[in-house]
Amino acid sequence: MTLIGTSTSAFYERARQDMTSLRGRAESLQEQLGRGERLRRSSDDPVAASRLRTLNRADRLSDIDETNANRADADLTLTDTALASFADFIIRARELAVQAGNDTMTAEQRASIGTELEQIHGNLVSLANARDSAGHALFGGETPGDAYTLDGGGNAVYIGTATSGELPLGDGQSVTRGLTGPEVLNFDDGGTPTNIMAFVKTLANALQGGVADPAAAARDALPGLSTAIDTVTTGQTLVGSRLAWIELTAERRVDLSELRATEEADIGGTDIASAIARLQETLVVLEASQASFSKLSGLSLFNQLR
Amino acid sequence: MASDLLSIARSGAQTARIALDVTAQNIANASSQGYVRRSVRLEEVSASGGVGRIGDVSLSGVRLDKVVRNADLFRQAEVRRTGADLARADAEVSGLQNIESAIEQTGVYPAIVNFEGALQQLASDPVDPSLRAAAIEDTRTLTRTLNIASSSLDAVGDGLRFDAADDVAQVNLLAGELGRVNLRLARAADASSDQTSLLDQRDSLLQQLSDHVDVHANINADHTAGVRIGGTAGPQLVNGGDAFPLAMQTAGDGTISFTLDGNPVTPLSGSLVGRGQALDKLADIRTGLDTIAADLITTVNTAQAGGVALDGSAGQPMLSGTGAADIALAFEDGALIATAPAGAGANSRDPANLSALRNALATSDPSGEMDALLFDISSAVQGRSVTREAIATIASTARIALQTQAGVDLDMEAVNLVRFQQAFQASGRVMQVASDLFDTLLGIR
Repeated sequence: MTLIGTSTSAFYERARQDMTSLRGRAESLQEQLGRGERLRRSSDDPVAASRLRTLNRADRLSDIDETNANRADADLTLTDTALASFADFIIRARELAVQAGNDTMTAEQRASIGTELEQIHGNLVSLANARDSAGHALFGGETPGDAYTLDGGGNAVYIGTATSGELPLGDGQSVTRGLTGPEVLNFDDGGTPTNIMAFVKTLANALQGGVADPAAAARDALPGLSTAIDTVTTGQTLVGSRLAWIELTAERRVDLSELRATEEADIGGTDIASAIARLQETLVVLEASQASFSKLSGLSLFNQLR
Repeated sequence: MASDLLSIARSGAQTARIALDVTAQNIANASSQGYVRRSVRLEEVSASGGVGRIGDVSLSGVRLDKVVRNADLFRQAEVRRTGADLARADAEVSGLQNIESAIEQTGVYPAIVNFEGALQQLASDPVDPSLRAAAIEDTRTLTRTLNIASSSLDAVGDGLRFDAADDVAQVNLLAGELGRVNLRLARAADASSDQTSLLDQRDSLLQQLSDHVDVHANINADHTAGVRIGGTAGPQLVNGGDAFPLAMQTAGDGTISFTLDGNPVTPLSGSLVGRGQALDKLADIRTGLDTIAADLITTVNTAQAGGVALDGSAGQPMLSGTGAADIALAFEDGALIATAPAGAGANSRDPANLSALRNALATSDPSGEMDALLFDISSAVQGRSVTREAIATIASTARIALQTQAGVDLDMEAVNLVRFQQAFQASGRVMQVASDLFDTLLGIR
């Protein structure tokens, strides 16, 4: 006779396997819910894990881009403030030149105006050597020290580098982090290249009696000062547009980081609703198999034989 | 020769007793490992009439013909084959999982990303001492994590080779034991209970062997088992009472191979093979990790050589070593990072050389390489796990199929218990009848 049936040990083995696998499934679902993450290790879903790694890397690097952008933003804002001060001083110098150009002024009055212009020259030089957020020369490009130094004659000489460095803002974008002194302080005075410090110093010297007709010299200086103001204002516009560019890239960075966060949640997050539903389903099946197991295992012929 | 009612009844009662004993033995061993259900085969004892006695009634009762072991050789072979496959898959998957943990949980990938991030941050102000210090620390973290990942891989390899060596020892032990069982089987009387328990032992040993290595057994007429490994045409591990020694050799890259009795042999399945496969993958992953470390060393040092340090001196190599195991930071002073191009003076803020380093890193792409390495091992783990599940199902089906046929069904045994008890009682009744008949004859007056 061929036995079609089940041996006792086979029955227990099958029941044990089924219930173990159900329990394992329930525990894995519970773990997903508890952690809020679907992946415990890369091998749970290698493609998703690799994508998550790339996203995390982008997040990390984007954080640093943000720090860098903030630094550039701070430097450019400092540049903007310094340029506004330049403009104020130049406007004051122009007012003084207008006053000095008046023929009713006495030579002494012009000399005292010249003294004030000398002060303004000093202020302009120290302003040109202003520091950025990291303590480097604001208008010196990438120089390690000062942007301007005074030569033997008291003239400001630019000793910085020719260009300002570029700072990466992420996604291949970058911004020039500042303006060099010559870019905003040099201008053409009727065909002669000069810079605002030298110009003011020449005017101060002239008013203090350096030339035969100080009033005419003051009047002649007016168009040059206007050009200087224009140059500084142009510099301010440049800084403003760079700040706007930084803001634009910042917005783009936020948008991208939101996209990444959404994708991370989609790929690696637990879908709570479906996980709970599946957990419930698994638990119901597990309870049912436990109940039927205890019924079946209690069903022995030996209990019936008396 | 005539029949003897009393001796017929005696033989009936005796065989019923034996059948009851066998049933009791079955019940007692219902959950014994490797026990195969026994059943009794009974045979009528009768003589055909001899010369001059044709037509005689000559009945002598019943005798125990054989204690049958309900083992199916095919199903047993299936259990061994699928069990060896499962042992191989289990060993491979657990080895691969350990490799995955070794390089994923040491955090090499985040360390590379942090290193890249530190360089990116340094670009914002290359002369800032704190940013330089941060870059140095992140580089140190990177070298240490690579060291740790490398030593974790070593530990995984050592563990796998230790387990494989244990497997080899087990195979030799079991093969020796099987040889001894073969010798005793050759001498055991047919159908004796001694033989059946030896057969149980033989099958159990074969099954245990199949956990470690693929077993191709052929059962001889005297019930002894010959075992070949590495396929049906492979060399013999056990032949009669002789067991040949299996040995393991470790290659320079940590992979293993085997010899049987001095000749190379390639087992096809079993945990030995699984561990060997995991070790092969380990060698691959180690090569990958070493390549990443070596590329990193070359890229960083080449860039350093092209620039000048903060004090204007020529850039020194920043990383020492040749691979993941010995990669180390060559200097601790952040000022020695060559961010400025050659020819720049001291304290230069020109980040051209730093940009060159970052471009070189973007080209050699260590984080991408690491991601690929992690993907390689994790997809291997996932793929093998799926295969393992399939093999586990097949193996468990084979095991249940064998148990269904060879295992003890307690309900069935309860029925047998009642049946043989009744048979015993009935034989007793026959003795009673014989006795009554005898009394009847004696009582004739």
